[in-house]
Amino acid sequence: MSITAETAKQHANDPAVLCCRVEAGTELTPANLEDPAIFPDLVDSGLLNLDGALKIGQVLNGTKITKTVDSLTAITADIVDKFDAIETDSPAEEVVAAEEAPVEAAPVAAAPVAGGYISLHIGEGKNIDIQIPTGVGVPAVAGAAPVVSAGAAPAAAPAVVEEEKVVRELTRKHYLIEEVKRGPETKIEGTTLYIREGIEAEALAHHSITTDLKIEVITPDNYHTYSEAVMDVQPIATKESDDDDLGEGVTRVLDGVVTMVTGTTEEGVQIGEFGSSEGFIDENMQWGRPGAVDKGEIIIKYQVTILNGKNMERPGPMDAHCTVDFVTQEIRNAMKKLEDEPREVQVLQQVRRPGKKKVVIVKEIMGQGAMHDNYLFPIEPVGTLGAKPNVDLGNVPVAASPLEVLDGCIHALTCIGPASKEMSRHYWREPLVLEALHDEEIDLCGVIFVGSPQANTEKFYVSRRLGQMVEMLDVDGAFVTTEGFGNNHVDFVTHIENIGKRGIPVVGFSFCAVQGALVVGNKYCDAMVDLNKSMSGIENEVLECNCLCEEDAIRGIAMLKAKMAGEPILEAERKYNVNVKNNNLEIIEKATGRTVERVENEQSLPMSDKRREKYD
Amino acid sequence: MENIQMLLKQGAIGKPCEPIVKVGDKVKKGTLIATPTGLGANVHSSVYGVVEEITDDRIIIKPDDEQPEKFVKIKKGTNLEMIAEAGVIGQGGAGFPTAIKLNANLDKGYVLVNAAECEPGLEHNIRQIIGDPEGLVRGLKYLMEIAGADKGIIAIKKKNRTAIEALDAILKDEPSVERHLLPDIYPMGEERAVVRECLGIELEPDKLPSAANAVVVNSETVYSCLEAIENQKPLIDKNITVRGRIAGGNEAHVFENVPVGTSVASLIERAGGIEGEYGEIIFGGSFTGRAGTLDEPITKTTGAILVTVPFLDLHGAKTGLLVCACGGNLERMQDLLSKYNGTETKVCYCKQAQEQKNGTRKCERPGNCPGQVQNNLDFKKAGCEYVIMGNCSDCSNTVMASGPKMGLKVIHMTDHAMRAVGHALYRTLRVSKQADQDLNVVDNVEND
Repeated sequence: MSITAETAKQHANDPAVLCCRVEAGTELTPANLEDPAIFPDLVDSGLLNLDGALKIGQVLNGTKITKTVDSLTAITADIVDKFDAIETDSPAEEVVAAEEAPVEAAPVAAAPVAGGYISLHIGEGKNIDIQIPTGVGVPAVAGAAPVVSAGAAPAAAPAVVEEEKVVRELTRKHYLIEEVKRGPETKIEGTTLYIREGIEAEALAHHSITTDLKIEVITPDNYHTYSEAVMDVQPIATKESDDDDLGEGVTRVLDGVVTMVTGTTEEGVQIGEFGSSEGFIDENMQWGRPGAVDKGEIIIKYQVTILNGKNMERPGPMDAHCTVDFVTQEIRNAMKKLEDEPREVQVLQQVRRPGKKKVVIVKEIMGQGAMHDNYLFPIEPVGTLGAKPNVDLGNVPVAASPLEVLDGCIHALTCIGPASKEMSRHYWREPLVLEALHDEEIDLCGVIFVGSPQANTEKFYVSRRLGQMVEMLDVDGAFVTTEGFGNNHVDFVTHIENIGKRGIPVVGFSFCAVQGALVVGNKYCDAMVDLNKSMSGIENEVLECNCLCEEDAIRGIAMLKAKMAGEPILEAERKYNVNVKNNNLEIIEKATGRTVERVENEQSLPMSDKRREKYD
Repeated sequence: MENIQMLLKQGAIGKPCEPIVKVGDKVKKGTLIATPTGLGANVHSSVYGVVEEITDDRIIIKPDDEQPEKFVKIKKGTNLEMIAEAGVIGQGGAGFPTAIKLNANLDKGYVLVNAAECEPGLEHNIRQIIGDPEGLVRGLKYLMEIAGADKGIIAIKKKNRTAIEALDAILKDEPSVERHLLPDIYPMGEERAVVRECLGIELEPDKLPSAANAVVVNSETVYSCLEAIENQKPLIDKNITVRGRIAGGNEAHVFENVPVGTSVASLIERAGGIEGEYGEIIFGGSFTGRAGTLDEPITKTTGAILVTVPFLDLHGAKTGLLVCACGGNLERMQDLLSKYNGTETKVCYCKQAQEQKNGTRKCERPGNCPGQVQNNLDFKKAGCEYVIMGNCSDCSNTVMASGPKMGLKVIHMTDHAMRAVGHALYRTLRVSKQADQDLNVVDNVEND
C-alpha cells in the first residue's frame, strides 16, 4: 500500500517499488510507492523482482517516470528521467522490530557474561559460602540432578560479594526412594515408599466427579507401558514443619520418584483439548525436561476416570487433581515423620544485587478455565489445600518470590498441548528463575504470575494491570514467558506491549516455530526466544518437548542484557529457522566461554505410531 | 394504467415527508401531496388520479384514464424559492435538496455540472444534453447566479464527442462557462473527483465542494431547475436508462419524462421485457446501485434499471470481499456474495476507503489507487479462492496485477451487469487517467 512521507524517510534505503500503475510523465511521490514492509512476502511468492531497484531516498526529489508501468514494478534507472546518488554517509539502517516475530531475533553481540560467578549457599549443619565459575558448573537444578552437593564442593576459594543481600533461604532435604510398594499403611522405610492399600476408595469417597482411581507403579524397566493423557507431573514434597510457609524454611522432597496424573472420562475421552499425550510412556515423554520425568525415576501413575462431559468443565479436572492429591497428602504426612538423615541438603537463596540491572520475570499461565487453570500458593509444595485457582482470582497479576516458585507454589492443571504446557514440576525446577537468580550481573526482584483469560476484553484488562505493576517495580528489564500457543498469544504480546511502551526492555519466551507462529504482534515484540525443540517446529504431543529449558533461559538472559545495554537485536527472519537459535547459542558460548548443553528432542525417543501417522 | 407509488422519501438522505392529502382526494399532475418534515423536498403527484391508499412510506394514486400534458404550476418566487418549491433534489446521487445546496453564497466561485455519467452503461444524461445543449447552459447560468458563482464548468467524459461538439458550439460565445474533459475511467463522476479534475483541488473525504468554493450539480438536475424556473414545473418525471437482459438486445433504452412512481416492471415491459433467466435488478448504476424488486417504484433519484445476467455459482468457495468507497458498501458486497453462493472468508477495505462519521465510506483520492497487494496477501493467507472487489478502474487494475499471480480468482462486483450491458469487465486498465483537453488529441490508451 502507498506510504506516507514519514515512512518514505524511514525507508530511504529500501528499494523503491510502485504500488500502482503509474503513467509516463508522473512525478513520483510517496503515494506512488509500495510499503517495503511487505517486500519479503512478495519476493517469496515471486511477485516482485528487486534487481536493480533504486532506493526510495533516490527517487523522491523530482524524479519522473518515463514509461507507463504497472504496480509492483521496481523503479530502475531505465524508467526514470533522473535519480539522486546514494548518500555515502547515510546513517546506519535502523533496526526495525518485526511486527510479527514468530521466530526469535538474534542478538548482534551478546553482552559478555565471562567471569560471572554463581553464588551458592550450601548448608548441612554448617554453612559454607562458595563461588563457582559459570563455565564449570551449571545452576542448581534440584531433584534428580543436583549440580552441587555438600559432599562434592568444588575447590573454589570462598569469597563474599559485598553488595549482595540474601533476602531469604529455602532448604530442600532430599530423601531417596528406590522402591514403591503397596502395603497396609502409607510409610517410608529406608528407601522404600509404601502406599496404603485401599486408599483409592477413600480418595474417591471424598470426590463426586471422579468415579475411578487406579494407582500403578511404573519402574524404569516398565516405561513401555500405556498411559492415558498425562495431566500433570509433580514432585512429591512437603514442608517439614507446619509453621513453614512456601518458599522459606525447610522442604522435604523424595528423589527418584514422581507423581504422574493421567485420566479420561468414563467413555474414554482424553482429558485434554489440543492434542493429548496418551500412548506408551517411553514414546511420549521427553525425559529430563524441567517439567517431565527424568529417566530412571519411578513413576506413581494415577489414572482417574471422571464423569462424561466433565473434561471440558472446570470441576472435572479440578476434582481429578484433588483426588490424586488426597493420596499424595498421605505420602507427605509420612514424609514429615521421617527421622532419617537426608541424603542431601540443598539451600536455595533468594539473592538481591543492588546496583545491578533490576529485572522481573512475568510468567503467563493459563486461565481460560477447565484444565486451563492453576492452583496458586497451596500450603504444601504442589498441593491443592489452601490454594486459589487463578481463574477465581480473575487472572490478575500475582507476585511471587523466586523461592516460592521453586517450592511448588503452582499446582498446574494444564494438561493440554502436551509439548508446550508447563507441568507442576516445571515450576519446581524453573530454569529461567534459577538462571536469573544465579546471574551475578542482574538483580532478579521477583516473579509475577498472570493468568490468560478466555475473552479478549479480559486479556487486555489483566494486561493493563500487569503493565502498571511492572511500572511500579522500576525495573530495568523484564522477561515474559508463556506456555502453549495460539489464543494466549493475544495477551502474551499485549503484556510485552504494556511493559515495552513504558520504556522497559522486554524479552518474550514462547513456543512459536512453525505451528505456533504469532498471530498478533506489536513493535515491542522485537526480542523473542523461541522455545521449540521439535524437529518439525510443531506441537508433537510429546510431553514437555517444547517447554522452556536452561538453554532458552541462557539465550533470553543474554538477549535482555543486550537490550538493556542498548545494543540492537537483529530483526527476526520471516520464517522459523532453527539456525538463528543455534547461532545465538554459539555467540553466547564464544562470549562467555560457557558450554551450553543442547537438549534432545523427540527424535531421541522410540517412534510412536501416533507420531508416525500424524507428525514425523 | 397501473397505480403510481409516490415514496415519502425520494432520496437516500433526509427524512420522510408528511402527506398533505387523504385517501379519496382527487389529484392533478403537479398537485403538492407531501411536504418535508426535516431535510427533504416537496413531493408532487406525477399523474391525474385519486389517492387510493396512504401507507407509512408511500402515497398510492390510482391514475385517471386521461392524462393531459398540462400540470399544476408551482407558485412564482425567486429562482431559488422556485427550485425549492418544485421539490428538486440531486438526481445523480443521494438526492440532497438542490435548493439547499445552491444557497451557498459563493465568493466568485464555481458551479460544476457533473455530466460524467460515470456509471457504465447509462445513457440518459448524455442523450438529454445532445437533445438540448442550450438548455443545459441556460440552466447552469441560472444556478451560477443563485449560488454567487462567476464561473461554470461542465465536466463531461471525452468519449461523448457528439454532446461535446454540441456544447462547444454554444460555449464559444459564453465566456463564463467552459467544459472540462474527463477520461473514461470510474469514478470520474464522484463529486470530489469532479472538483479535483476541474479545479485541481483534492478535497479531504469529509469536506464538501464548498471548501473549494464550488457546488457540484448533476446535469439532469440542472434541467429540472431550468423547468422549475422557466416553466414553473415541479419535479414529477425522470429520464431513465433501462438496459441489460432485455428482449431484443442489450442496447440502452432511454425513457424520457417517466412519471415518478412508475413501477420498474412496467418500464422493463416497455423496453421489451426480461429475456430469459436473470441475476438481479439493479436500481441505479452497477457500482453504487442496489438490488431491487420488480414491483418497486422509481423515485426522483432513480437513474437506471439494469437487468443482469445470472450469477456464477461459486459452490460455497472461500471468498474474500474487497470493499471500496467507490463501489458497494459491505452490506451490498455481502448481498452479492450470497447471490454468488460464496463463503465469506475475509473482508478487506481499500486503504483509502475512509469511514466517515455517518458510517459510510469515502475515498481519499478517488480514482488513484493506494496499492492493493497487501489485501491480496491477506486474502491468500485467509485461504480465499475467489475475491469479489468493488473497486474503481485504477484499483481494480492493481488488484489484477497481483491477485491472479497469487492464484486468486478475481470477480468485480459489476461483472454480472457489465456482461448484461455488453461493457468491458473492470479488470486491467488500458486507458490513460489523463485526458487532453483538446478533443482531437487521442490520449494514451494502452499499457505499454
